[in-house]
Amino acid sequence: MARLIDSPIGTPAPAPALATDRVTPPAPSVIAAAIGLSKIYGTGDATVTALDDVSVEFARGRLTAIMGPSGSGKSTLMHCMAALDSPTSGRVIIDGVDISGLKDSGLTTLRRDRLGFVFQAYNLVPTLTAQENITLPIDIAGATLDRPWFDTVVDTLGIRDRLSHRPSELSGGQQQRVACARALVSRPAIIFADEPTGNLDSRASAEILGFLRRSVDEFGQTIVMVTHDPSAAAFADRVLFLADGRIVDELDDPTADRVLERMRGFELGGRS
Amino acid sequence: MFRFTLASVRGHLVRFLLTAFSVMLGVSFVAGTFILRDSIDTTLDGLFASASKGVDVVVRGSGETSAIVTGAPRGTVPLALQATLASVPGVARVVPDFQGTAILAGKDGIAVGTGGAPALGFAFRTDDPSFTLVHGRGPTGPGEVAVESVTLAKADLHVGDSTTAVIAGQAHPVTITGEVTFGALFGATAVLVDEATARTAFAPDGTVSTFSITAEPGVTQQALRQSVAAVLPATDEAVTGAAMTAENKSSVAAGLGYLTTFLLAFAGVALFVGSFIIVNTFSMLVAQRTRELALVRAVGASRGQVVRSVLTEAVVIGVVGSALGLGLGLAIAAGAKSLVRVALGTDIVAALPVHPATVLWSVAVGTIVTVGSAVLPARRASRISPVAAMRDDATPPARSLRRRGVVGLAFLAVGAVLLTVSVTRDSPSWPGAAVAAVLAVVGMLVAAPLAARPVVTAVTWPFVALTGVIGRLARQSALRVPRRTAATASALMIGLALVTGVSVIAQSVKASVADVLARELTSDFVLRGASSAGIPASIGPAAAGLPQVQSVTRTSVVGVTVDDVAASAVVTSAAGLADNIVITMRSGPLTALAGDTVLVNQTTATAHGWTVGSVVTAAVGTLTAHRLTIGGVFQDSQALGTEFVVDRSLYDQAVPVSARSDRGVYVRAAPGADLGLLRSQLVTLAKPFLIVSVEDGQEYSDSTAASVDTLLNLLYVLLLFSVIVAVLGIINTLALSIVERTREIGLLRAVGLRRRQLSGVITVEAIATALFGAVLGCLLGLGLGIAMQRGLRSQGLDQLAIPWTTIVTVLVASVVVGVLAAALPSARAVRLDILRAISTEA
Repeated sequence: MARLIDSPIGTPAPAPALATDRVTPPAPSVIAAAIGLSKIYGTGDATVTALDDVSVEFARGRLTAIMGPSGSGKSTLMHCMAALDSPTSGRVIIDGVDISGLKDSGLTTLRRDRLGFVFQAYNLVPTLTAQENITLPIDIAGATLDRPWFDTVVDTLGIRDRLSHRPSELSGGQQQRVACARALVSRPAIIFADEPTGNLDSRASAEILGFLRRSVDEFGQTIVMVTHDPSAAAFADRVLFLADGRIVDELDDPTADRVLERMRGFELGGRS
Repeated sequence: MFRFTLASVRGHLVRFLLTAFSVMLGVSFVAGTFILRDSIDTTLDGLFASASKGVDVVVRGSGETSAIVTGAPRGTVPLALQATLASVPGVARVVPDFQGTAILAGKDGIAVGTGGAPALGFAFRTDDPSFTLVHGRGPTGPGEVAVESVTLAKADLHVGDSTTAVIAGQAHPVTITGEVTFGALFGATAVLVDEATARTAFAPDGTVSTFSITAEPGVTQQALRQSVAAVLPATDEAVTGAAMTAENKSSVAAGLGYLTTFLLAFAGVALFVGSFIIVNTFSMLVAQRTRELALVRAVGASRGQVVRSVLTEAVVIGVVGSALGLGLGLAIAAGAKSLVRVALGTDIVAALPVHPATVLWSVAVGTIVTVGSAVLPARRASRISPVAAMRDDATPPARSLRRRGVVGLAFLAVGAVLLTVSVTRDSPSWPGAAVAAVLAVVGMLVAAPLAARPVVTAVTWPFVALTGVIGRLARQSALRVPRRTAATASALMIGLALVTGVSVIAQSVKASVADVLARELTSDFVLRGASSAGIPASIGPAAAGLPQVQSVTRTSVVGVTVDDVAASAVVTSAAGLADNIVITMRSGPLTALAGDTVLVNQTTATAHGWTVGSVVTAAVGTLTAHRLTIGGVFQDSQALGTEFVVDRSLYDQAVPVSARSDRGVYVRAAPGADLGLLRSQLVTLAKPFLIVSVEDGQEYSDSTAASVDTLLNLLYVLLLFSVIVAVLGIINTLALSIVERTREIGLLRAVGLRRRQLSGVITVEAIATALFGAVLGCLLGLGLGIAMQRGLRSQGLDQLAIPWTTIVTVLVASVVVGVLAAALPSARAVRLDILRAISTEA
């Protein structure tokens, strides 16, 4: 693994503060970055440029939302950042590690030990109970479960009485809470959430987003979330806007109205 | 709709091929059996045609044609009849058929092997049309022989070489003067001697079994037969050459029929196992395509069209599988042919004929089994409602296993009780036992899904303990759809149940034989003949003359028929019998055995109400309506294995000298004898006869066990087919279930499951399925095997032996099978693209 000594990326972060107030470190350190990232699908006339030389940094302990219309490359960006997809060119650095040079085995270990995932379709293992689903990454790693942390996560998400249930016995909102718990329980460097509320009604959505917000605020968790819902983006600290494979705008401390306004702005701009 | 079907076949090509393969294996067995039978049939035609060349009428003694079964030969015809026959108008040529056994020693001094076929000796006549001299000249004196080509090749000898030949029990040094060819001999060897030698050796009493007569040109076989019959005494008969050929053919055809039925039974098992795979595959395909089928329904397809669509797929798979099976069957027949060539040193067949009937049967059986197996899944597909297309969660809810379990367990229980009752009765009821066995097997098949949870949990326990989450994921996957796992495992269960059951019987046979020999055989040495020729009659008396021998018992076999009892009676003499074979008399003395006074076993005596002094009328060998007196009743004996013991003097009276031979010679050493020395003396005595072996009690027991093992191995090979089909089934089920679990696999990989770990999960799942089948199969096989042994205990199978080695081997092999079956599906699974997998629609 190539650790980039000269880069600010990977410098030790201040210990996550378990404050009740929203913590914004004066100079937030960078935990993940994309440098000149491009992704081109297909060959010849059928090529599609999903990402076009994107460089971006994600701050530790922050909730970043990525927005953009369909085909803007927002999912591709996240998949490349999350070591699920490999870029055509450019580098991805996660927690001080340049993952471009890693083989499947290294990438698997990285995902297992340093990344967490929340998917739109929950993606729980149907044959395992909620508890077994939550501890799955730890079990796969053969690591020991941090029991107090597990309890904290489970209680925060309010799923203690559902632990012995199988996914088919849970509602969509409950399943997504279990998925969140699974992502949190191994204390990953970053959680990637891909449209986490895409399949949920507004009340369940608000609950899930609230949990993600709390895990950032209370546990210092870093989260990168892809969404197309302005009200979901409003829970973020920062919103990146993508269009045609490029970052076209960004917004700190967003509200739903401001997000909607920006989107309308560059959608119109894009059309002209 | 047909285009939709074809698209679906194309879309699932791998599954399609795997299913077609399981059809193929079953069909190949059927086709191979038919092809082999037809080719043996063709060969037989050729054999009989060449044997009867130039023979228009055959004169023979009267008797039963079924003599092979009872061991009672026909009467013979005196040589003196030749002159009478020659004077019959229309007769061009009449020759006595001198025929007997003639064993040739090969270059290595060992008898040329026949693989159980006879070693034939004939008279050489230059005008005999049934063979052709291809090299050298015919034999002209006692020290000369002509040898058939294949026999000569097997002996590794050439014209001009010298060797030893045992002609009618007499060893002679001989020179090979010529080489002749016959039609195919089926592994039998043939040695020809000059006519005078043949007469002395094969017709010592001045009689032969047949005369062959050739007609003058223009005289029909029928006409000649009538003229010949007119001059024959009442004890002899004349038949046409054509009738003789037909008679020979039909007696062989019956044997061939048994062989065909026997092989087809195994083909049936493989097809039955294959049908499980087909049902499973179609069920899974239908389940996976629920949404697609619902969509087709929603856009206007009728239920009938959905059923027809699924069945059309089945027809395509059935026809393709059958066609492949026909090809493989041809290869199997070719393989069997070369096996025979290796074993017998000769070709049984000139060609491998594929008759239209073979093609028709193979394709019909394969297609009917496939379509029949697809009917239930097709009906299930048609019940998918169009609205399922709109629903997110389109998988049908799991049905409860309780009802199925209760029905299955009830069948199993009734079958088990009925089986126990049937076989533990004094006279076992085999029809009852068969029904009970079928009930038990069906019950096991029906209840298997219920057993999935406990058995799979138990067999995966070591993996869970060792690998933690890998084992648990595998266990959960195997238990996800218990019906499916059970159906997959059942395919293996059936094959392995037969393996275990057969093995229990074989092991028990070996134990019982060893036990009987230990208890009832008290001789120190046993001499046995390696072929049907038996032991030359001169060896017994020679052995008796050795200084250290206390007594010698010679046994032969003769057919005895009394009322409804057709038995192979043991021929011996009372003197010295008690030294060598333990016979417990219930009434009358053993020494009563003499002349027309015979001994009968307890069961037969009780059944017919015979006691000492009873007189019965019997057919003995060539004697008909012969009066026998019961001199004693002996306790049923496994060592003798017969209903009657008759005296040697009666045998000499009932069997022509050319047909006499000893089956066993039992030698009891004098007290304090040097057994090593005696053995070497016996070996020296037996050696010139080439095919007589000398064994002590333990060796005799071992060589008997070895012949059981040979048969057992043959059965294992035949059962291997159904096991291979079952393995294909495991591959198929795994491959399909991986398709179903694509999203889950994507997730597991996303959250950090390594490729090796993933293939571990799939491998453990396959092992769990295979072990599940193996455990059920062993239990079922043990149950059926033990029941069979219980039922046969009064027939001599009185020792139960459990083949632990086989059971452990089966269990270990099933683990290996699991690993092999997982290779392909897991290679596919680890190659899945994580992103695409995770976003696959369920």
